[in-house]
Formats: sequence, C-alpha cells, structure tokens
Amino acid sequence: MWSIVDGYLGSYAPLGLLALVGVLIVGGGFFANSLLRPRRPNAAAGKRDTYECGLDPVPGGWAQMQIRYYLYAYLYVLFAVEAVFLFPWAVVYLQAGLAVIAEMAIFVGVLALGLLYAWRKRALTWQ
Amino acid sequence: MDKLKLPDMDYVALLPMLALFVAACLGVIIEALVPRRFRNIIQLVLSIVALAVAMFFVVKQSGEVVASKALTAGGAIMIDHAALFLQGALIVLGFVALLLFGERSLEFGGPFVAQAAVTVGSERDREQTGRELGSTETFPLALFSLSGMLLFVSANDLLTMFVALEVFSLPLYLLCALARRKRLLSQESALKYFLLGAYASAFFLFGVAMVYGFAKAVDFKAIHAEALLGEGNSLLLIIGLALLAIGLLFKVAAAPFHVWTPDVYQGAPTPVTAFMASCTKVAAFGGLLRVLYVGFDGLGWQFTPVLGAIAALTVLVGSILAVTQTDLKRLLAYSSVANAGYILIGVIAGQQLGLTSVLFYLVAYGFTVIAAFALISLVRDADGEATHLSRWAGLGARSPLYAGIFTFILLAFAGIPLTSGFIAKLSVFGAAIDGGQTWLVIIGVITSIILAFPYLRVVVMMWLSEPGESTPSVSIPGGLTSTALGIGTLATLVFGVVPGPLLDLAEKASSFVR
Amino acid sequence: MTPMWYIVLSAILFSVGAVGVLIRRNAIVLFMCIELMLNAANLALVTFSRINGTLDGQIMAFFVMVVAAAEVVIGLAIIMLIFRTRRSASVDDANLLKY
Repeated sequence: MWSIVDGYLGSYAPLGLLALVGVLIVGGGFFANSLLRPRRPNAAAGKRDTYECGLDPVPGGWAQMQIRYYLYAYLYVLFAVEAVFLFPWAVVYLQAGLAVIAEMAIFVGVLALGLLYAWRKRALTWQ
Repeated sequence: MDKLKLPDMDYVALLPMLALFVAACLGVIIEALVPRRFRNIIQLVLSIVALAVAMFFVVKQSGEVVASKALTAGGAIMIDHAALFLQGALIVLGFVALLLFGERSLEFGGPFVAQAAVTVGSERDREQTGRELGSTETFPLALFSLSGMLLFVSANDLLTMFVALEVFSLPLYLLCALARRKRLLSQESALKYFLLGAYASAFFLFGVAMVYGFAKAVDFKAIHAEALLGEGNSLLLIIGLALLAIGLLFKVAAAPFHVWTPDVYQGAPTPVTAFMASCTKVAAFGGLLRVLYVGFDGLGWQFTPVLGAIAALTVLVGSILAVTQTDLKRLLAYSSVANAGYILIGVIAGQQLGLTSVLFYLVAYGFTVIAAFALISLVRDADGEATHLSRWAGLGARSPLYAGIFTFILLAFAGIPLTSGFIAKLSVFGAAIDGGQTWLVIIGVITSIILAFPYLRVVVMMWLSEPGESTPSVSIPGGLTSTALGIGTLATLVFGVVPGPLLDLAEKASSFVR
Repeated sequence: MTPMWYIVLSAILFSVGAVGVLIRRNAIVLFMCIELMLNAANLALVTFSRINGTLDGQIMAFFVMVVAAAEVVIGLAIIMLIFRTRRSASVDDANLLKY
C-alpha cells in the first residue's frame, strides 16, 4: 500500500494530509461547539436578522446600488475586447514590416479617438 | 520563417468607404473639441464634402471596372458594376437624408435631443427640450452607418458581410433613440429595433458558421464552387442559407420578419426614419442579391418557391395592414413592407431583367420615401410632428402646395403612371412574368389595388375635409428640408417621365462578378 | 472523440438562446440569450475550423467577439436609458407602440 506514496502521486500526499488536518480541525471545532453550546431552539426577536454592527438592520436585503462606474465598465468591455486583434498582430509584425505597424497604429488611433471623445464628454470623471 | 504575405489592397477602390469613415472619425473629433453652437453647420458641411468625395470616386471607378481586378482587400471586397451602382445609390440617398438631419429651422435646436442620457420627464429634460441645441453626434453616426452599408453591398465573403451588417446597424439603433420629442416612443423603438436586430444578426452569424462547415470557406466563389460540386453535407448548406436569409430578410423588412418596422418607423426621429427607409433597404437588398446571385447560385434556385411564398406573404401583410393604420408614419411603414415584397418579386424573377428592375425600384422608392418623410416632418403643432391621420384632414385648404406634393408622392407609392412608382412596379412585374412567376404578379397587382386604398383615403382626407381646430399648420421649411423635398419629388417625377437613363444605368450595373 | 459533438452542442446552445429570447421577458435576460446565440455560433466556427483544417474559423471567432462586445455596449446603453425612465427592464412594459 505504501508504494502509492512513493510514486508520482506520492508528492501529493503531504497536500492530502494537510487537507485532512484542516478538515479535522474545523470539523472538530464545530463538534466541540455543538457539545458545549446551550440549546434554546426558540425564535427570539431579532435572532434571524442580518447582523449590522449593533444597528437595527435597514429594511430589505435587496437594495439598488448606485453604480457610478457603469460607464467605465462599458469602456472597459470595448477596449479589452478590441485588444484581441493585437495578439495575432504581435505574432507577425516583425516579419511583415512597416506597413503592418502603420495599420495597427491606425487601429489603435481610432480607438484612442473614442477615448478622447469619452474624456471630453466627461464620461471619465466620477459623477 | 517565410516573410508574411500581405493581402493586396487596392486603396483607390476602397476610397468611397474610407472617405466616409475618415469623415465620421473627424466628426467625432469635432464633437469633442468644437463648441456646440458651431457643430451643426460644420458637421453638415463635412458630411456633404465626404459624400461628394465618395461619389466622385464611385463615378470615376465605374468607368474602369475590370472583372479580373474587381476583387480587392485580400478577397474580402468585390468592386463590380452592381456594387458601384448600389454604392452610388446609397451615397446619393444618404446625402438627401442627411439634409433632413441638419434642419434647424423647423424647431429650435433641430430634430434631435440635446442629451440622450437625461431621464425623460425630469426637470432637466423639460429644460433641454425647449432650450438646448440638439446633439450633432447624429452626423458621424449616420456616416459610420453609411460606410458600413457601402461595405455591405460590396462584401465578397460572409464574414465581411456580417461585420458590415453590424457596422451599419449599430449606429442606426442609437439614432432611433435620439428624438427630441416623444422621447419615450423613440427609446422604445430603439429597444425593439436593437433586440430584434441583434436576434436576426445572431441567426445570420449561425448561418455563416453552417456555410463555413459546408464549404470550408466563406467567400462566395468557394461556396458557389462547393455547391456546384455537390459533395459534402448539403444539409449544412441549406440550414446555412435559411439562417442567412432570416438575417437578411429581417433587414429588408419582409414578412414574417417585418414586425419591428412599424414600431421603429413611428418611434424614430423622422429624418432617421427617412434614412432607414431608403438607405437600409438599398443596402439590405444589395446584400441579399449578392448572397443569392453570387454565393448560392449553385443551388440552382431550388429555394425560389420559399422566397416566392415570403414575397407573397410580405405584399399581403403590408398592404392589408396598411389599410387599418391611423398614424401616417405607421402607414408608410407598412407600405414600405409591401414595397419590400414587390422588390423581392423582382429578386425572384432572376436574370438580368429582374436585377435591373430591382436596382431601379430601390433607387426610385428611396427618393420617393425620403420626400414623404420630409413632408411629414413639416406638418406640426405645438407638440412636434402631428402624424395622426385625422390631423391631416383639411390640409389641402390650409396649404395647397404641400398637400399637392404629398398627393403626388402618395400617387407615386400607389403606382400611378407618370411617377417613378409606376415604372418601378411595371419593370418588376414584367421581369417576374418573364421569369415565369406569373402567380406572384397576380398577387402583386391585387395587393397594389388594396394598397391604393389607404393612400387615396389620405388624399381624400386632405382635400375634401374641412380644416378643423385640430388641423396643424404646415411649417415653412428651411432650405435643407426644401432641398430634400424638392430632390425627392423631382426624382419621382423625372424617373416616371423619362426612366430611360436610370434604367440603362441599372441594366449596365446588373451583373455580379464572381 | 469526434468533433461533430461540438456542433451538436453549439446547435443546442443556439436553440436555448433562440427560445430564451422568445419566452423571457426581461430585456437583460433577452440580451444574454442573444449573446448565447452568438457564442454558440463561435463554438460552431471554431469546431468547423478544426474539422476543415483551416484557421479561418478561429479568425472569424475573433471578429465575432469584437462585434459582440460593441453590441453589448450599445444594447446596455439603450436598456439603461429605458430603465431610468420606467424603473423596469421588462419588455412587456415597453408597450407604447402598437398596431
């Protein structure tokens, strides 16, 4: 049986032991807790409320957040995805010479134009 | 490693598209840097200059088309006679529609909202409706859209076509949402157009994937060769064609894919509606023609019965529902659906005659429909345009000139002789009889008669009713709207009286290079 | 494993998206269904690229991703615009235009 420990999988043995110890500690803690804690299965007022550092919880767990950053999200989606064209380009631009570099410059320039527009329209300021 | 072989780029052939694209980018810079009150005039001049440059190069190249050199941009773009004709038509129609975009005298600040992001009905919104100059981003958006259309009609593979489809659709979705008045309607139309348009283009894309699976490539030449060869999984090809057709028929507004048309035409700002009704139709039919005639010709037109059924359904739905409309913009939308059906009949007719008739119909209809929407933008009351049919009662007594022009335009839609509508319908039906599609011609003629009813009802209403309290006034048009109206009306008359030159031009253009 | 199964998977995903657009009512969910359809097409393209032994399909997938991103931004902007006024993203509430 110990031959498993010597093989390739053997290098995972410490990891497995560590995980086992972790499970034992956490599980043991919960088990000890269940032995020691008082049992009062009634529903006292406020028992199931969300705990909010001593203050009474504000009504409702669902609330609408004001997302100030959605414009950044839009811009990010665009710029992040347009970058996909840079990857195939990066593979070939050294072989292909100046024309290809110029083409990519134009492509990035058009994107930069969009950024210029967004900046001038104050889409980048925190509103 | 070998040196990378770059695709051949014939930049001169691409110049019409590049001119519009560069102008649109410049337009964005202008939006960012120039003060608001100068923007409208600068944008308008810039757009017109760009369109003129583009037109110049289209005309210049039309003399030098050689089949062997028509293919460019690494095989992605085909500049043949048909592409140049369609590009020219798009540029001219786009020019006339852009004149309406620039109009500022009918209403303070023009037809577009100042800040689209402002919530409808808020204090800030009331303030901007009355007092702020309209946004001029509409010009770059329209130019981006037009350059996408030019690419769409000259695309030689399905991927280029898909990208072009999105390039010309996305700005249109935004333009729909920018009306100054009735902003809720406008935004709703944009939402509907966007969701349905994106849905249709997803179908188109899946069709592209299927065709790629069949033909191992997406350029039309390879698809044609593979279809002729008859090897491979033809199920993929047929599924692919069906899905592609859904995407394209959505754009041309053929039934049963027409449901967006009335809502979008009604809700969008009237200049944008004019732009869509003329240019989108040309572009979408241009794309459809190329797909069917160049890419899928190898199928031997087995799909004719299906297309025929769609054409018949389209003319029926368009004409019958037009009768029940009470809003002029919706009425024209259904009429545009019916017209898409007539053009589809020409597409099915096939041969050179069918192609010629389709090209002629597209141009003739484009001019007439722009004139119609230009006139609708003139009839207004305190709340903006008065498009309800009852409001037009008695308009003939108030302003005989404009009522007369509108009557003429409606007669052209109905296909009365001496208008371009008559010649267009005649040539389409003639081609269809020639192509052995007599049953479609019979349905076409019957629906034309049905369709004449709503048009004539408007005419009767304008002339024979007494003007009441609620009859709105006709605004005196500014120079731009008058020019657009004049060009549209004149073209309708000229193409009706002397259709020869345009028919010749269309005939010369009615050949695709594969 | 034969790559044809991926085509089947993409067809299933596409159908789920197509049906989802028809039966769901929230504009955002509709929109996610449309994205699902686009990505199903991407999967089909990449698989066919593998089957055909050409790279075109993978390049096409790049273009589709970029187009989809542009579409997302424009679509969300329009939905956001409507939501601000109506406080609802249900497509059934957008009902001013009819008949």
